[in-house]
Amino acid sequence: MPDPLLNVENLTIHFHTDDGIVRAVEDVSFSVAPGETLGIVGESGSGKSVTNLAVMGLVPQPPGRVVDGKAIFRNRDLLKLSGRELRGIRGRRIAMIFQDPMTSLNPFLTVARQMTEVTRLHLGHSRDEALRHAVAMLDRVGIPAPDRRVFDYPHQLSGGMRQRVMIAMALSCKPDLLIADEPSTALDVTIQAQILELMRKLQEEQGTAIILITHDLGVIAGTCNRVAVMYAGRFVEEAGVDALFARPKHPYTLGLLESIPRLDEERGAELRPIAGQPPHLVDLPPGCPFRPRCRFAVERCANENPPLEGEGEHRKACWVEVKTV
Amino acid sequence: MPELIVRNLKVHFPSRRGSIFRRVRGAVRAVDGLSFTVRPGETFGLVGESGCGKSTTARAVLGLVRPSAGQVLWDGQRIDGLDETAMKPFRRQLQMIFQDPFASLNPRMTVGRIIAEPMKILGLHAPKTRQLEAMRLMDLVGLNPRFLNRYPHEFSGGQRQRIGVARALAVEPELIFCDEPVSALDVSIQAQVINLLADLKRRLGLSYVFIAHDLSVVRHISDRVGVMYLGRLVEVAGAEALYCEPKHPYTRALLSAVPIPDPVKERRRRRTVLSGEVPSPEREYPGCPFADRCPIAEASCRRRPPQLEGAEHQVACFKAE
Repeated sequence: MPDPLLNVENLTIHFHTDDGIVRAVEDVSFSVAPGETLGIVGESGSGKSVTNLAVMGLVPQPPGRVVDGKAIFRNRDLLKLSGRELRGIRGRRIAMIFQDPMTSLNPFLTVARQMTEVTRLHLGHSRDEALRHAVAMLDRVGIPAPDRRVFDYPHQLSGGMRQRVMIAMALSCKPDLLIADEPSTALDVTIQAQILELMRKLQEEQGTAIILITHDLGVIAGTCNRVAVMYAGRFVEEAGVDALFARPKHPYTLGLLESIPRLDEERGAELRPIAGQPPHLVDLPPGCPFRPRCRFAVERCANENPPLEGEGEHRKACWVEVKTV
Repeated sequence: MPELIVRNLKVHFPSRRGSIFRRVRGAVRAVDGLSFTVRPGETFGLVGESGCGKSTTARAVLGLVRPSAGQVLWDGQRIDGLDETAMKPFRRQLQMIFQDPFASLNPRMTVGRIIAEPMKILGLHAPKTRQLEAMRLMDLVGLNPRFLNRYPHEFSGGQRQRIGVARALAVEPELIFCDEPVSALDVSIQAQVINLLADLKRRLGLSYVFIAHDLSVVRHISDRVGVMYLGRLVEVAGAEALYCEPKHPYTRALLSAVPIPDPVKERRRRRTVLSGEVPSPEREYPGCPFADRCPIAEASCRRRPPQLEGAEHQVACFKAE
């Protein structure tokens, strides 16, 4: 096993709100190897976005607070770096793309301005070099007539094209790690297929590691090597992608797989939803946060929070042995 | 039991240019000649990507948007182009559930009042019984009737969607348009609402027009499915037939693009990845609107538009077998 590119240990992030302390991320540990794709699956409120924002130093503190943990990247703890040091890494070694390209691209600046800014800062390009590089990147991501479109404003591009611009920008400096937060969720399904295909191709060419955050299990199945499932701020299961889908060990993972309609199964068979609602992250009751919705729960689950553990690559945070029927 | 027949429905929005004179320069052809039938007790799924016109279709049928051409028949009567007074009795039978559970409920009304409002507008039930009816409906959709006097913001997204369902059911409709009813919900909640809709259909003998972009959801709940592209239907068939033997190249590409939650199958799949962008309804297309992106298009496809042809399984394509 090669040295991990990123090693996150015991990450805990709280937010201080008027309603109380929101435990957004609780004791999360994971690593990403060079060139691999790690998927993080979770629904709204699971903590998947906050975890990755913290790695990039983008969690506003206050109201957020990194209470504990480390994020070791190239022998440095990202959580302890100064603003200046982080700015040297963001965009250069670790890049991030977000769900809604309209709000993550500056609507007041042309694509050229936004893209050249990155390489002029990090690679020391002159204005001309940076522009040439930007046009070349736009061409790589499949934007037609890139030498003209580079001067467009974001609103002049479609959603799919804006997402391509984001990817081009993110990969401009050939970062070691790309964090993609729901990169294709807001896109139509045929465009989603294009974007995911593009990311796959560029990853192959550049050897970038990817953390792919999404709620879509189909996307996870098609793109990831390993998967972590998040619930209420914790990792509840972690495994290689084949193992996770073939032998899910956590009731939440099982619940998710049973509740989604799929093209490859019998039509009209009744869906098996997960009962109840996602939890309130303020004043979580003791014990396992999934217990109120779990059909396998036993008494221990109400009192003790199960740790994430297991043999080898497949780990789960659950007291019960779940049998997949 | 009544049937909904839509014939050659068109909704064209004039597009204006210029800041001072705002001249009409062209049109956005949101819906461009749509024909379909929803039989009693059937769920008709309407599927397509953004801009295909599926939501506009629902609004046009219900008179929320004025059709530019075409006919809408309900139980044999024309309901297109009726004014509000004439349309009112039909609103009892034709209802709608909206996509956004946050925007579709008035935040200043209690849940009880929201659900009872349609009854009030259509003069159903004595005022005293309306709240009781609202409680019965809340129970029917799986909400605790004790929360009658709470406000929408006190509920989760999934619960708010249930309130929307209860409101649509308040007047005992025959057919409900469900416009992306689960897209805004978390995955684990979607199944709850889908099961609820399927259950209510069985119990109350409802018909649905189920509009969504999620093909897996549409397949699951629909009896027949229509695929829309740029304001037109390109294929209509029974749900099983459409998904097992799609005939239109767009349907095939669409199905091929849907990810399947099975890594082994995903690795083995041969994908048709469409090139190009989802097109603009402002352009005019002399031939087939899909020709620019179609993997099997020929010159003849660009000359005149294909019509929807076939009996149970209809397709609009010159090259379909």
